[in-house]
Amino acid sequence: MLFQFNAQNQKKFEELLSHYPTKVAALLPTLWLVQEQEGNISFEAMEVVANLLDVSPAHVYSVATFYTMYHLKPVGKHHLQVCRTLSCALMGSENLLEHFKNKLKINEGEVTPDGRFSLCAVECLASCGTAPAMMVNETYHENLNVQKVDQILKELK
Amino acid sequence: MNAPKKQLVLTNRVGIPDSHTLAVYQKTGGYSKALSKTFSQTPDGVIEEVKNSGLRGRGGAGFACGMKWSFVPKNTGKPTYLCVNADESEPGTFKDRLLLEKDPHQLIEGIIIACYAINCHTAYIYIRGEFDLSYKRIHKAIEEAYAQGILGKNVLGKNYALNVYIHRGAGAYICGEETALLESIEEGKGQPRIKPPFPAVVGLFGCPTIINNVETLSALPFILSEGATAYKKWGTEKSPGTKLFSVSGHIQKPGVYELPLGYSLKKLIEENCGGMTAGKKLKAVIPGGSSVPILTAKDVETMMLDYESAIAHGSMLGSGGVIVMNEDVDMVWALKNLTRFYAHESCGQCTPCREGTGWVDKILYRMLHEGGTNEDLNLLTDISHNMMGKTICVLADAMAMPVLSYIKKFPDDFRNHFRRTGSSPRAKVI
Amino acid sequence: MILEITSGEQEVLPGPRLFNMAKIKLKIDDREIEAEAGTTVLEAAKAVGIEIPHYCYHPGLSIDGNCRMCLVEIEKIPKPVISCHTRVAEGMVVKTQTENVKKMRNSVMEFLLINHPLDCPTCDQAGECRLQDYYMQYDRIASRFAEEKVHKNKMVDLGAGVMLDQERCIACSRCVRFCNEVSKTGELVLANRGDHVTITTFPGKKLSNPYAGNVVDICPVGALTSNEFRFKKRVWFLSKTESVCTGCSRGCAIEIHFEASKVYRLIPRFNPQVNSYWMCDEGRHGFHFVNENRILKPTKNGVEISASMAISYLAGEIKNLSPASLGIVAHATLSNEVLSILKELGTSLGTQVFFSRNEPHNPLSDHFLMTKDKNPNQMGINHMGFKPLSELTQGQSLIVINGLSKKDGELVTQKKAKVIALFSANESELSKNCSLVFPIPTFAEQNGHFTNGDGLVQAFKAAFKPRGESKEIGVYLHMLLAQLEDKKPRVAFGI
Repeated sequence: MLFQFNAQNQKKFEELLSHYPTKVAALLPTLWLVQEQEGNISFEAMEVVANLLDVSPAHVYSVATFYTMYHLKPVGKHHLQVCRTLSCALMGSENLLEHFKNKLKINEGEVTPDGRFSLCAVECLASCGTAPAMMVNETYHENLNVQKVDQILKELK
Repeated sequence: MNAPKKQLVLTNRVGIPDSHTLAVYQKTGGYSKALSKTFSQTPDGVIEEVKNSGLRGRGGAGFACGMKWSFVPKNTGKPTYLCVNADESEPGTFKDRLLLEKDPHQLIEGIIIACYAINCHTAYIYIRGEFDLSYKRIHKAIEEAYAQGILGKNVLGKNYALNVYIHRGAGAYICGEETALLESIEEGKGQPRIKPPFPAVVGLFGCPTIINNVETLSALPFILSEGATAYKKWGTEKSPGTKLFSVSGHIQKPGVYELPLGYSLKKLIEENCGGMTAGKKLKAVIPGGSSVPILTAKDVETMMLDYESAIAHGSMLGSGGVIVMNEDVDMVWALKNLTRFYAHESCGQCTPCREGTGWVDKILYRMLHEGGTNEDLNLLTDISHNMMGKTICVLADAMAMPVLSYIKKFPDDFRNHFRRTGSSPRAKVI
Repeated sequence: MILEITSGEQEVLPGPRLFNMAKIKLKIDDREIEAEAGTTVLEAAKAVGIEIPHYCYHPGLSIDGNCRMCLVEIEKIPKPVISCHTRVAEGMVVKTQTENVKKMRNSVMEFLLINHPLDCPTCDQAGECRLQDYYMQYDRIASRFAEEKVHKNKMVDLGAGVMLDQERCIACSRCVRFCNEVSKTGELVLANRGDHVTITTFPGKKLSNPYAGNVVDICPVGALTSNEFRFKKRVWFLSKTESVCTGCSRGCAIEIHFEASKVYRLIPRFNPQVNSYWMCDEGRHGFHFVNENRILKPTKNGVEISASMAISYLAGEIKNLSPASLGIVAHATLSNEVLSILKELGTSLGTQVFFSRNEPHNPLSDHFLMTKDKNPNQMGINHMGFKPLSELTQGQSLIVINGLSKKDGELVTQKKAKVIALFSANESELSKNCSLVFPIPTFAEQNGHFTNGDGLVQAFKAAFKPRGESKEIGVYLHMLLAQLEDKKPRVAFGI
């Protein structure tokens, strides 16, 4: 089965096209829409997007690999993105990342065998005043410490 | 996020419950006086008012806002675009996120004013992909504005149409660079363009385009409703008005502070932010986001938070991201943290940046983990000079400046990482 | 491989320069020069013999400005600027040789080499590599890089006979721009970012356009190499001759790269009127007939004999035939010079001259260079007024020059015509069955001209001497006419 947008996203996609004078300008939001629907962006979906926007599949691939937030492979149900840039690092994010690795027994870029968690370190989340911070999927968690993240992990089923 | 105690220009609604809603915005004076003043004069009149206010771009470069607008050519037969730079990604900076989450309507009102001034009918808000709550709030605010006729075919019943769209980034620091931002919208891949031509003349889709930062635009409702003179009451002669400072690191009360430009950095740290945590001593401060040269504790004594004083202290005001570090911080470690950031974020287009960021990061990694030599310091210095001013955009400079300043201002920290004997192994060239 | 025009060769300037002829006065390295408005500093410098080093700039592609090798200093501009993108301006003072400019070049070289594998001894690009060339000119210092290099894929078969070594790539994007702008197929992109950027196709897809070979030519380093050519010959052993592609009626200007009597590759040569900087892959790979399957000696019934003996036999046959029962068949791959000789021969013998031609095959033609007519000189044939083979009379005896197409061969059989002699460079069914066979040189072994489909007459030059005992048509015909006592030439033939 080829990738296709569900009815609701097809509508959203058409709405997106109306925002721009060219089709290719809708590339970033279209990839977001794919990820929203599928959880990640497969090569197959990239080809479909290329077709929808009249660009080469290779162009879509180059764009998808340029950004860090597009998942080319499936991530965990809860995608943990720990900020590692200076302000968070000053407040101990390196330890936090180690803690996650030990606790979940996975490295950065990996998914737990049960598919619940995936872990990655990310650059500055603009949460420096409430460091250290992380995102779980799209939700910010701030002013973290080991106890707090243990609690968060417990609550994430 | 802590609200500033003193209410000034940008953060007056922060702290009010539901400040992000249209109801609260209108109740607190939004979409009324500023817009009626805007529409009661010509676009050139609005540009003049903003020029008079002395408002400078708050994205980092500090270019005069009204001046920038006046570069838009007239009667080109092409549409003019406004791109709102909400891709706040400079390490240590989180002020735009506050404005987006707490006062999205203020931004929309600023967008209306700017668009009217530059005769623009389509604006794109380029918001960084990570900003989920911000996205939801600005999205909702735009919906509310359309529903109330504040945006759309007839803005506030006037014969003036304006559409505002949101374009989400997807995780690339470089897209905050204005031409990369345009490329990201137009083609997808955010690689900076060669200038000239400048975006004001050839920008989005080949049309005249103004790119303004969230904070810059958010200051417009105040400037238009209260007047340039009222705005200039704050700040210094060359840096008028107020600015948001995002303060993080080893201080008691981190957060966003709205301060008149020219405010004392020492006072910000010691008084507003309640001083250092755990009774530690101040060692270093980054005053304007990670890309600007670092300051020592001694520099902090005399530095004022305005564009001129920052330059006089060998640094820059940048985005106003103030990162405070205490005496325990190893500056080699801190620098290594940032060089990884720049190596990770280099778009890979220009040779000196693509290769140089990674090289510098690897040298610092080696210094940190295996020890370095004085030769390494010379090498780091030379590589930095070879990167600066040689590339399409300033990401290379944004890494080179910290490298040079950390080495210059904290040489002992680097010496602590020297190896006892021998020199580094050298690869041989053919 | 480097494919660019050095000063003096570029006669017609592409793009807006044609329409904007205003002259601008500027100074480059203390030399007062004039350039057309709109010219870049790099091109203006090149026109007066000042070479500014560069990687990403290519005159046939859009300007990308990424390599930073062409940075120069311009008075009154505080920062160095890239000369490939900066347009000349009145009174501009450009400096390309200052200490600062040299230091910038050195540093760009150093940056390019830190992650480069430095595998020149095993790299096919050696000898025509800009990294090597500029290293010798600028950097020439021992590496200061003591860290681990970024590792990428070494042997990527991109498709279309192009091999990619990602570690040798300097991300200049020439190949990407070629696929976007020239072949308009968009297969190649730079994926990822920072020092992890890599040239790639879409995963699982191949580079597949009929012009793909050009990316090998324009790659300034050893990242893209040709499957056909790689490891066959070190480039410094190769000689070059200007020629014209024989693949179709476009007549793309080419260079033959050869050693001794063997062709190793064909590459396009700049010709703004025909092919710009490019050629198609079919033409590029269409040289093997020069090296292989050659007829090297005259034969009679398969037995090697001397050329003079073979000519005597032919003269004997001709003497027994009436002019009307004899015919000559010229091929649309022959040069104008050969065609003229055949026309004269026909006139002096009083016989008809017919023509045969390569039949069209797929791909027939396209939007760009390839034409439907797979003959380099059909226009020359047309100008001579030769007749199509369909006008053969029953039972005619034919002297065939350079073979018959399949269709024409069938026609000959159908009309019970007989090929009494074949002059050909390559073996074929016909050469095996023909009693008298004479070896002739290919286009690579003779001088001549082709008239392309647009009527443009273009010269090609002999790369090496005719192989084996092959002789040019003119030589054979002089020998023949000398033996036909009563049919002496009325004019002297120029060869």
